[in-house]
Amino acid sequence: MQRQKVDGQPAYVLHTYPFRETSLIVEAFTRDFGRVALLARGARRPRSAIRGLLLGFQPLEVSWAGKGEVLTLMKAEWQGGQPLLAGHALFCGYYLNELLLHLLPREDAHEALYAAYAETLRCFADGVQEADLRRFEKSLLQELGYGLTLATDAEGRAVESAGHYAYQIERGPVRLSRPGDSALSVSGKTLLDLAHEDFSDTRSLAEAKQLMRALMAHYLDGKQLETRKIFRELQEL
Amino acid sequence: MSTPSSLEELIEALRCLPGIGPKSAQRMAYHLLQRDRKGARRLADGMSHALEAIRHCSRCNTFTESDVCERCASTKRDASLLCVVETPVDMNMMEQTQAYNGLYYVIMGRLSPLDGVGPRELQLDRLLARACDGEVQEVILATNYTNEGEATAHYVSELLRSRGIKVTRIARGVPVGGELEYVDAGTLAQAMRERKNVEA
Repeated sequence: MQRQKVDGQPAYVLHTYPFRETSLIVEAFTRDFGRVALLARGARRPRSAIRGLLLGFQPLEVSWAGKGEVLTLMKAEWQGGQPLLAGHALFCGYYLNELLLHLLPREDAHEALYAAYAETLRCFADGVQEADLRRFEKSLLQELGYGLTLATDAEGRAVESAGHYAYQIERGPVRLSRPGDSALSVSGKTLLDLAHEDFSDTRSLAEAKQLMRALMAHYLDGKQLETRKIFRELQEL
Repeated sequence: MSTPSSLEELIEALRCLPGIGPKSAQRMAYHLLQRDRKGARRLADGMSHALEAIRHCSRCNTFTESDVCERCASTKRDASLLCVVETPVDMNMMEQTQAYNGLYYVIMGRLSPLDGVGPRELQLDRLLARACDGEVQEVILATNYTNEGEATAHYVSELLRSRGIKVTRIARGVPVGGELEYVDAGTLAQAMRERKNVEA
C-alpha cells in the first residue's frame, strides 16, 4: 500500500475511540477521502494541543500521513462557522454519524455527501426540522448508489399523485389498487414530494419517515442503530 | 521452561490495568514474587478489602464505605442545591473550587449514543428520584462541555424541568486570567454566541 501524506483536508469527526493510554482513534469524514480512521497520538494527554478540538459536528482541517488502514493524524485545525449543537440537534447529529459509520465504506470519496452533511449540520444549528433529516437520508442513499426511483414507478410509468404504491427496494414503487399496510406503502403524493424534496405536507413527511426508516433498516442489513434505541429509552423516562 | 499456571494467571490479571501490556505485566509479577512478597500481600489484601468495603453512596452515587457518604450526611451543606457531575474526579475538582456548598450526584459516566451508553446503563432514574426528593430546589448540571456531556445535560434538564425543578448549567467561556490572544478559537466563538448582559 502506498504511503500517503495529506495536508489541510476538510473533515468532521464522526466518532472517537480511546486507544492505549493517551491516544485516540478518530473516525473522520473527509471531503476528498471519505471516511478515514486516524490515530491521534497523545490526544488524551491533559495538555494535548488537540484535546478538545477533536469534537464531533465541528468543521476541521486535518493533515495525516501513513499507510494501511489506520493513518497518523499530524495536525488538526478548527475552522469555525458552525455553532456547537445542543439538545435535540445533538441527538439527530449522532444519528447522521451512526448512519455514516455503518453505511459509508472506508476511503471512498463522496464530495456531494460531504456537502450535504455540512449543510445538514448548519441547518441543525437553527433547530432540527424533520425535512433536513429526510433530505440527508435521500442524498446518502443517492451517493451510496442506492438512488431512489420516485417520480416513475417500477414499470417506468409516471407516479400519480392520487395513486397508492408499495415501494419495492431496488426496483421502485409498484402501483396498488388500494392503500397498502406495510412500512413500504406510500401514497403517490409522498413519492412526488420526496422526489421534489417538498416537505410542506405533514402527511408526506410522516410517510417519507416511514419509508426512509424501512429503507435504512434494509441497507443496514440487520444492524440496530444505537442512537434510535437510546432515543426510545429517553422518551420512556 | 514453562511458566507455572498461577504465575501466568497473575500476569494475565495484571494486564487489566490501564496501560499495562504483556511485558509490563510480566515485569510486575516477577518483581512482586521475587523482591517484594510483602508488598504483594498488601496489594492483595488492600484490593480485596476495597472491593468488599467500597460501594456507591445511596444518595450521591459516589464511592463510599458507608450507605450514605460523609458529604451527603453532613448537616453543614446546603441540601437545596444538587450539582450533577460525570465522575468522582469532577466532584473533587468542584470541591477544590470552594465555590459550592451544596450536594452532588455523580452519574459515573455520560450518555454516549454511538457507544450504546443510554439512560438505562447510567441508571438516570436514580438521579431523577434523588432530585425529586422534595428538598432539592435547584439542580446544577456540571457535566463536561463535550458533545456527550452536553447530550447528558440536555436530557437530564428535560426530565427535571418536566417535573418542575429549576435546572441550571455551569457557564463556559474565556478562562479566568485568560487573554483573548491565547484563547482557542472554538471557545472564543462560543463565548461570543453565549454573551450575556452586563448588569449595572
